Amino acid sequence: MNAKQELWAPVIRAKDTIPRIMFDVVLALIPCWLAGIIFFGFRAFWIVLLSAVTAVLAEALFMRYPLRLRSVFGDGSSLVTGLIVGLILPPTVPWWIPVVGSVVAVAIGKLVFGGLGNNIFNPALVGRAVLLLAFTAPMVKYVRPFDAVTEATPLLTMRSFDWALIWGNVSGSIGETSVIAILIGAAYLLYRRIIDWRIPVGYVITAFAAAYVWDLDPWVAVTAGGLLFAAVYMATDMVTSPVNPMGRLLFGCGCGLLTIMLRKYTSFPEGVTFAILTMNALVPLLDMLTVPVIFGAERSREQRFATTAAVALVIILAWGVLFAINKTVPEGVPVTAEGVYLPLVETLGTDVYETATINDKVYYFTGSREAPEKVAVVGAEQGYHGPIYFYLVLDGSGRIEHLQILTHSDDPGLGSLITRRSFLDQFIGLDTAELAMDVDIQGITGATISSRAVIRGVTGELERFQEAFYGGEEADAGAGYADGVYTAEASGFGGPVKVEVTIDQGKILAVAVLSHRETPGISDEAIRLMPQRITAANSPDVDLVSGATLTSRAISEAVKKALAQATRTEENGANAEEPAVDISSIPDGVYRGTGTGFGGTIVVDVTVSGGKITAIDIVEHADTQFIAQAAFSQMIPAMIEQQTIAVDVRASATLSSKGLLEAVEAALTGKEAK
Amino acid sequence: MIVKGFLSTNQIRDCEKGCVKLLVKSFPRGGGHIPHRKDATKNKPIMVMPAPKLAVIALSQHAGAPCKPLVQVGDRVKLGQKIGDAEPYISAPVHASVSGQVVEIAEKTLLDGTKALCVVIENDGLDETEEQAAQDYSRLSPSQIAGLIREAGIVGLGGAGFPTHVKTEPRKPVDTVLINGAECEPYLTCDHRLMIEQPQKLIEGLKILMQAVGAGQGIIGVELNKPDAIRVLEQVCAEQSYIRVVGLKVKYPQGAEKQLIKAALGREVPSGGLPADVGCIVQNVQTAVAVADAVVRGVGLYQRVITVAGAAVYDPRNVLVRVGTPIQEVIDYCGGMANPAAIVAGGPMTGKLIQDLTAPVTKPLSGILVLSKDEVDYELNLPCIRCARCVDHCPMGLQPNYLADWSSKGLYDQAKRNHIMDCIECGLCSYVCPAKRGLCRSIQAGKQAVRAGKTAV
Repeated sequence: MNAKQELWAPVIRAKDTIPRIMFDVVLALIPCWLAGIIFFGFRAFWIVLLSAVTAVLAEALFMRYPLRLRSVFGDGSSLVTGLIVGLILPPTVPWWIPVVGSVVAVAIGKLVFGGLGNNIFNPALVGRAVLLLAFTAPMVKYVRPFDAVTEATPLLTMRSFDWALIWGNVSGSIGETSVIAILIGAAYLLYRRIIDWRIPVGYVITAFAAAYVWDLDPWVAVTAGGLLFAAVYMATDMVTSPVNPMGRLLFGCGCGLLTIMLRKYTSFPEGVTFAILTMNALVPLLDMLTVPVIFGAERSREQRFATTAAVALVIILAWGVLFAINKTVPEGVPVTAEGVYLPLVETLGTDVYETATINDKVYYFTGSREAPEKVAVVGAEQGYHGPIYFYLVLDGSGRIEHLQILTHSDDPGLGSLITRRSFLDQFIGLDTAELAMDVDIQGITGATISSRAVIRGVTGELERFQEAFYGGEEADAGAGYADGVYTAEASGFGGPVKVEVTIDQGKILAVAVLSHRETPGISDEAIRLMPQRITAANSPDVDLVSGATLTSRAISEAVKKALAQATRTEENGANAEEPAVDISSIPDGVYRGTGTGFGGTIVVDVTVSGGKITAIDIVEHADTQFIAQAAFSQMIPAMIEQQTIAVDVRASATLSSKGLLEAVEAALTGKEAK
Repeated sequence: MIVKGFLSTNQIRDCEKGCVKLLVKSFPRGGGHIPHRKDATKNKPIMVMPAPKLAVIALSQHAGAPCKPLVQVGDRVKLGQKIGDAEPYISAPVHASVSGQVVEIAEKTLLDGTKALCVVIENDGLDETEEQAAQDYSRLSPSQIAGLIREAGIVGLGGAGFPTHVKTEPRKPVDTVLINGAECEPYLTCDHRLMIEQPQKLIEGLKILMQAVGAGQGIIGVELNKPDAIRVLEQVCAEQSYIRVVGLKVKYPQGAEKQLIKAALGREVPSGGLPADVGCIVQNVQTAVAVADAVVRGVGLYQRVITVAGAAVYDPRNVLVRVGTPIQEVIDYCGGMANPAAIVAGGPMTGKLIQDLTAPVTKPLSGILVLSKDEVDYELNLPCIRCARCVDHCPMGLQPNYLADWSSKGLYDQAKRNHIMDCIECGLCSYVCPAKRGLCRSIQAGKQAVRAGKTAV
């Protein structure tokens, strides 16, 4: 007997120890891991292994220094945390995501609270919450099993139950997809009495009921998107769940209700993480409210009645409030031009207007069909959760006079920001060309998808208006582009994306991404798919690749710009890029010009010989040598080769590049032969 | 419920396996299954151990006021002669367990390491006794019976040592006497053997107790892991319609007083109350046997059956031991021991560690467990992971994790508000704790502090 160990009755103890419990949980997690490996390949194995090893090492380094081999695993809780962190990641994440997640989970989720038993929040979910908020893009990039094609989580795509959800043959996090594997693990944990049935059963049944009430498919709600995994492995975490049986039941029910609420009303489609973290915070309260009636206590019946009544009251109140919220959300109203009241008289300025159906679309207009004065139309576009209907009034030339959102089914919090005038007023006064040329419409942070949907919808409606009212006249111009190869660029996530568009017989023959600085892995899908889609549609207005929206959008924008060049080339019949400077008319000689760079004046000598630029010499400049030099050495040969000053600006030395262009242009236009 | 002749042996065996659970009674909440470890001793007949050369008889072997010596050094005493007594109501006299000469009256170390006044008698080996004829108890009044019980020095022999005569004079009307034959503690089989070997005496004792408190029915509750005892008792009390045997589910702590009453009668002793509040009293098997001896034969309580078990003792068995025999001699009688990791007085769940092997056997001592290293687990006190096993298992519906926490932090007010005084100290919370925390120990300390009237610092 050493000083730490003391013998006191009872001298016999049950066999279960903390490491044994943790080992059991690890065993129960293995089916999920295996399912992940089967569906998402060996990458799933490495991600989970990496997160598990990181978690164990992180705890060992923080807690058990100096490190001894035998004490690395400690009580095994860090291994469980690490495994869970790995299993709730999408299978496509880069290697550093599980590492960061595990370190955050163990260090911030557990150790800062005082280690095992003292943490308030489920460590694995703390790790996931941080990853979700900090690295959203890789955390929501799900792939289809087996063929690794990017796909949204079934929570967003599936509207009805499918047996694939039971097997786990759907996109999702590594360990969360297979219901079968999770149930095997749950059965083992229940058999070993590691978890109490009240939490998972309360969780699932409440979620099912809530989904039913809110018109979601309840079977999809409980089988898709990690709810079951959370109910079995994360909500049941002993440290962060209540100790009293009644408290555990209420805890499970609360988790279920919150999960469905978050899914329904917020922009987090998965909901589980923040539902459980919220309930974790309520555990001390639940422990206090649900103290069991002790053996032989007086008034036990009254106390029981009081507890039951309190619980019933809370549940009824919660449902009541939620029903009230539910009723205030305008939803399911048949929104068509006839179905809702349109402020036609107010916006058209007269009650004498004509109605015409052109291309299956109803237009209300004043003036004549050939020369409309004002045109009103209802448009629709797919938003985050469903269609967004808007009402648009244009003047005769296609400028936007009025825009309002009629109905939308996006999240009441963030999605409804698109109905604000500060957002909609940005559209007023714009016409098709300006909108297409990407006049800056400030989107709404947090409602990116909704606001972009509005922009997309309005753009589309403007184009349809042009076609409907001026279709005949502009048919030639719009029918095709001038043949040729055009390059253009637009800014993406990491920098400019440069595309080359080949036009043949007035149609887009091919689109190639020449250069980009997007994140590898995430943007791959967009770079592969977008050119195909654009070519197939013969238009840059195609569906964006989810998970790589910014890159897709950049490609689309760049193609639009390239097509704008193609259009203008035909209209002007001349080199549209360089209308001001006609090099061929400049007499031979050396011309000097100046421009303003980053550090000061840039002076160049341009040598013109036989109507061509033969040399460009930098006389002096005050820019940072190594930055500017890179720009000059790239751009000067380009200008000489292409015989134009409209060459690409070097991204990392914009000011120097622009200064150079300014100087060359000054030299050529100044015509001051030296 | 197993009524007389209601179940065959096979059915009892089925019950044991859990096939016919509906017929078996149990307390409803908490409790847990722990290994019995009774096989080594349960089939061996009780052996009578020779009287010791020197009997050390403590003057305080019971709950209540300690006795004052009635003899002086040099006096000759007979077997069963009263040698110590006390004035207060809650107390019990002590008797000489050998005949011979008083050689010393001094403070000696007892089982739990405390010191108490003891009378040391040198055995002359004659076992001279004051002969008393058997008497018909049916004519005795309740107060006469209680007097006889008190004079015989009978205390609760299950381990608590509460004077039995106090229980037989309850303040409220009692309709049932319960005999506690559950013996839910691992290792212990002394009650089991007594039920098999002396069922007549047991029934006799039960009848006397019923007469003393005016109860109309007697119930013997036996856990189903003792089917032979159930069968024997059913045969013996087959004639008496007012006595029945109840089979109890094998679940710890089935033998705790309040749990036994709940299981057998469905009555719940109120918090802070006594069994008499719900119209019954509970007596241990051996106590009932001692009552029969005292009232019918006029024999004082000077010997008792003790289970000596554990992997570190060579010949585990039940022995009939004179009170005052040193522990070492009892162990030596059972073949001696080898490398014991712990020696426990009483059961492994609620017993106390024996610090000094020269300490004498006292009346409440039900077993001496000589445990090897494999059988013993130490407290580790890892952090609580809130697994709630203690809450789930607590037969009293308490929250041991919080009570232990508050007790060790000195928050006695909070512990008291949360019913720390209702803890029956069964030790199940410590047993199931995967972090091996000393929950029960902390709660015991907390209860002592609350009793002493301490409040939060």
